[in-house]
Amino acid sequence: MKKEEPGVLMPEKKSIYKEITYSFEDPFFSPFEIQMGPQHPSTHGVLKLRLILEGEKIVDLEPVVGFLHRGVEKLAENMNYAQVLPLTDRLDYISAMNNNTGYALVVERLLGIEPPPRGKYLRSMVCELARIASHLLWLATHALDIGAMTVFLYCFREREMILNFFEKICGARLTVSYPRIGGVRLDVEESVLEEIYNFIPYMYEKIEEYEGLLSENRIWLDRTKGVGVITGEEALAYGLTGPSLRGSGIPYDVRKHFPYDAYPEVEFEVPVGKNGDTYDRYWVRLQEMRQSLRIVKQCIEKMPEGPVCAELSPDLDMPLYKRAYRAEAFGESTLIAFLNEGAQIVPKGELYSAVEGAKGELGFYLVSDGSGKPYRLHIRAPSFIHISALKKLSQGHFLADLVAIIGTLDIVMGECDR
Amino acid sequence: MRKDLKYLIFKDLIGGLLITLKTFFRKPVTVQYPREKVTLFPSFRGRHALVRDPETGEARCVACLKCVQVCPSRCIEVKFEVDQETGARKMLAYNLEALRCIYCGYCEEVCPVGAIVLTEWFEYSSRDRSGLIFNKERLLKNWDEFVERFPEKVYTNKFWNLKGVPEVLKPAPKREGIMVKVRE
Repeated sequence: MKKEEPGVLMPEKKSIYKEITYSFEDPFFSPFEIQMGPQHPSTHGVLKLRLILEGEKIVDLEPVVGFLHRGVEKLAENMNYAQVLPLTDRLDYISAMNNNTGYALVVERLLGIEPPPRGKYLRSMVCELARIASHLLWLATHALDIGAMTVFLYCFREREMILNFFEKICGARLTVSYPRIGGVRLDVEESVLEEIYNFIPYMYEKIEEYEGLLSENRIWLDRTKGVGVITGEEALAYGLTGPSLRGSGIPYDVRKHFPYDAYPEVEFEVPVGKNGDTYDRYWVRLQEMRQSLRIVKQCIEKMPEGPVCAELSPDLDMPLYKRAYRAEAFGESTLIAFLNEGAQIVPKGELYSAVEGAKGELGFYLVSDGSGKPYRLHIRAPSFIHISALKKLSQGHFLADLVAIIGTLDIVMGECDR
Repeated sequence: MRKDLKYLIFKDLIGGLLITLKTFFRKPVTVQYPREKVTLFPSFRGRHALVRDPETGEARCVACLKCVQVCPSRCIEVKFEVDQETGARKMLAYNLEALRCIYCGYCEEVCPVGAIVLTEWFEYSSRDRSGLIFNKERLLKNWDEFVERFPEKVYTNKFWNLKGVPEVLKPAPKREGIMVKVRE
């Protein structure tokens, strides 16, 4: 044992939790604490919640995140722009197409590349398919949390078909890496496009089936109506985006307000809820699936011919630095000097661009110092911001409702912890 | 106040039960895995293999190290020697850690001769780590195992399309495909 030297104070251990104090007038108030997660099945990953309960009512709640931290943002600083793209698959692993597109867009805007029209349409098409797959998984797990097992099985049946399309298009089911800086990786065969086109009416039927199972079901209504209410103003103040915000009645959609890819050329509506409770968010997501199918249909009908990737798009093995040489002759020997001139291979600057991910506004903030790798890449993950609203949504509700509230925010911890 | 007639006759619950009843008469979609197997589509990114040239019986790799350079997870290691007279490189060792691989398919896309491929093979789990660290012999064996099941004579991969390179400028093996069996 090593002896501590006298006179040296050991630093105090600081708790990661802040002190929680309550001044309730009730003398019999005795809150107790429960740690929910990170292994709890309905926290959708590795979210840990520190709950203060009074009886069965939630008084306070503190989310603890970071169990799935992999350092994607730091890893990106040591790779060239093309190599970062497969990492973004692993953020929101349920709708990887949207992540890839978001990253590709921000680099395209930095480099000033415009993808060819076929590339744009293909990207929009696969993004919407990924959105449907994501919403299907959300509906499946949300319904399973609340107690409807049938919907879970049905949703996974249709999700499997979409994943099969992805496998046919690009060779992988979840970690697709299909969109590319300046377009997409491969062209899609006509037979696959036809299969997707035939899938659309089938999917419309299936969405009606889910609605028949849930929308009027008395148990579903009791568990979702009036649970986790947040008004539009509060939702904006908490920074909610995506279906979680639109359920509160605010029609903000990146696809409409800051259009990218083929979205300005297709028609679709933005479904908006009224009450801002769990049921409205459920309704909004189901309607969004219908709108996504509409976009997929229009994309296939309007699909132009031509190349799928811009010629200026950076190579996979793009250099990190451009080296300039200067050779000087000194008698018989030659001195070769490396110069830093011309080291800039991409424009300098910083920019933020966002896409409408399946969960909300997925933003990428990129700082470029002119070299072939990003100087800093910050990812605005919607799940991380949605978790911060968990306390507001669940205060005063029963513990059993917390499961429904976590489900309704549609969080993916891979994106939250990055 | 939802105590109307629809509520009293359990219309919502019976409607849901009718939907589930319909699936009684549908075909099951479940694949009973060990007995049945899912069909993989062409250019699925599965187990790695080094393509064996049927005429020389050796790997096609020319040790250009492009795959080492583009790999985002840095799981490839290539050792080579340079012939002093001709300046040609000869690949000595090719080690690939499948445990670290993220299956992005960049290596097969960037390879100039079509030497490394991700084959349509998904059953290669191992009981220990050493079974998933592939060396050169293991990678060539992977290719042989893949070819045994492969129905056609010429193998081409979708990911061999080099971006922005015209068809005529592509290297010959990527353009025409690789003969997987020796001509008889």
